[in-house]
Amino acid sequence: MTTCDRRTVLKTLAGASMLAAAPGLTLAQGAGTFRIGALNPVTGAGGPYGGGMQKMIVAAVEAVNAAGGAGGRKLEVFAEDTQTQPQAAVLAAKKLIEINKVQAVLGTWASGVSLAVVPLTNDANIFLMHCSGAPALSGPPANAKGLGYRFQATNDQFGRAFAEICAREGFKRPATMAFNNASGIGNTEGFRKAWEKKGNKVVETVVYEPSQPSYRSELQKVLAAKPDVIVMGSYLADTTIILREWFQTGENQKWIIPGWAANPDLIKALGNEVTEGLISVESVSNEQSQAFKIYDAAYQKAMKQSGLNNAYAAMTWDMVTVLALALEAAGPNADIAAVNAKLREVANPPGKQVSGFAEGKEALKAGKINYEGASSVLDFDQFGDVTPDFGVSFVSKGQLSRKYIVKI
Amino acid sequence: MASFVELVLTGITSGLVVGLAALALTLVFGIARFANAATGDMMTVGAYAAVVSMAASGSFTLGVVAGAGAGIVVALLAHLLVFRRLAARAPVTSLLASIGVAFVIRAAIGVAFGHQQKVFGLPVVRPWRIFDVRVQPIDLAVVIAAAATLLVVFLILYATPIGRRMRAVADDRSLARVSGISPDRVMVTMWALAGGVCAVAGVMLGAKTVVSPDMGWDMLLPAFAATILGGIGHPVGAVVAGILLGVVQEIATPFVGFTYKIALAFFVLLLVLLVRPAGLFGHSEGAR
Repeated sequence: MTTCDRRTVLKTLAGASMLAAAPGLTLAQGAGTFRIGALNPVTGAGGPYGGGMQKMIVAAVEAVNAAGGAGGRKLEVFAEDTQTQPQAAVLAAKKLIEINKVQAVLGTWASGVSLAVVPLTNDANIFLMHCSGAPALSGPPANAKGLGYRFQATNDQFGRAFAEICAREGFKRPATMAFNNASGIGNTEGFRKAWEKKGNKVVETVVYEPSQPSYRSELQKVLAAKPDVIVMGSYLADTTIILREWFQTGENQKWIIPGWAANPDLIKALGNEVTEGLISVESVSNEQSQAFKIYDAAYQKAMKQSGLNNAYAAMTWDMVTVLALALEAAGPNADIAAVNAKLREVANPPGKQVSGFAEGKEALKAGKINYEGASSVLDFDQFGDVTPDFGVSFVSKGQLSRKYIVKI
Repeated sequence: MASFVELVLTGITSGLVVGLAALALTLVFGIARFANAATGDMMTVGAYAAVVSMAASGSFTLGVVAGAGAGIVVALLAHLLVFRRLAARAPVTSLLASIGVAFVIRAAIGVAFGHQQKVFGLPVVRPWRIFDVRVQPIDLAVVIAAAATLLVVFLILYATPIGRRMRAVADDRSLARVSGISPDRVMVTMWALAGGVCAVAGVMLGAKTVVSPDMGWDMLLPAFAATILGGIGHPVGAVVAGILLGVVQEIATPFVGFTYKIALAFFVLLLVLLVRPAGLFGHSEGAR
């Protein structure tokens, strides 16, 4: 279009004024709804989990609405994709907050994404419930307003789990190697603190830089201390290189590695001989709970596979459930602060243990409740962090199999 | 003592990878007069081509050859489609364009192969022990591949007519032109050489580590450091500087720690440039 006549201008103006009026309209309609943004890694590195995470938010919201809503309000979901990238996540969060006027953002995955989104949710004074491990998400500035809730284990908790495993396996001389970032060092420092609390010593600590053609000098330093086990805070690529070079030195140690690095891809890259006996640690869902059974049924219905395959979907299921219970406890027309004040009350003890929204709504009439979640027992500490259990798997003949669960 | 020797060996093999990348950088800089930021991604091309052809054929040697071939093809394409058209403009135009070429190559690899890491799947073997020093067979392969590549490059540069013409253009472009040297053929040969060298460096790096779309880009800064240290535009200097930086990094880490490993290379660079502003082998006649 090269010209712009009066009629077109008028039409545009009329359209714009209607748009401007629209937020008022939705607010008027939305008095009876609580709006949730489902901001998940549908594509990118989180792709294997994101689709299921988003579907479980929708499924949990349907369950809440079927039980008559929460606090007199129906829940409404607006779904977006983070692409597992901070830039894309920020754009999507802006859209959710400014256009959809959501009152909670649920299910961000990967620390970089959550750290990028949390300033936006803080500015808007709304909830951010996420599945990220970085310790920085616990305190200020990221969680200065106390509106951030973490449903995944922190890197520090991973470190504590590593210490439990070391003790249980009878290791005496552990050494650590960490990728030089908050997550890597968080794992090994958490381990060191917990291990020293048990009255033990870490024989060597190495922090390494990423993207090196070789990690042999780092390994040489660690191996010179004659450790019997090496505890890692690492990712897949660097773990692949380090383990290959370690095997080539001819030494024989055991390894304790976080599950996101010690996975089937690592075994595929290195072969059975190198990976034999590796210990892989990951946080696991609250698999024996009633809440998990309810979640699992919903997951199987939506995804045609077991809920065990997606620990993060159990987390997003719990996000909606616990948020709805807090809404119910806060009563009609409660604002975000009032809902936030009720969140720990419905999730933590004391109170009657409940496993789902409908059951909790009923029990709230009688008194306090304690939601025991599908992802963990879901008791939030002062930082809004939970303490999940950890599954310990061993590699044998190229297969990962879980041997036991560690509670911290 | 044995551990010290092992550190030196590690430094030499890491340094050879960086040195080869620096050689490719310096070839382009000497003749086309710009810093080619796509050098790292041409390494990545070589590594992916080698991984794919090795998976298909089962032969690592064939993989190296296929990788080198792919590197040559991509470098020539970059020359024909981009850099040749910009030759008349200021060098900074080509530098910026090379950053664009780097992005295009990396994105294309990401789309074609995904961002999951790939490995060559070479057998992981226990080391040989020679006088109590552990020697890795893969390191020996890296040294042999690097030596062969260097031999070919230096034979072409110093023992063939086209090599003499390349050096003539590098020394004085207008003088070379009035002597009847066609810059077109010199450019084509230079890009083919640079692409091949990059690709071999990429294959070596991939065999030692893992193959991913970002692997080459991550090596660009160390390669720049080696290029400058060796004297910009000086082929022997680039390789020697690469090895020097690798060895210094490795033997110093027991004293300074690993987090300062990379900074240390730049500290050495700083020291050398303070004493010899033109680099180890460079002449002090300005831009070469």
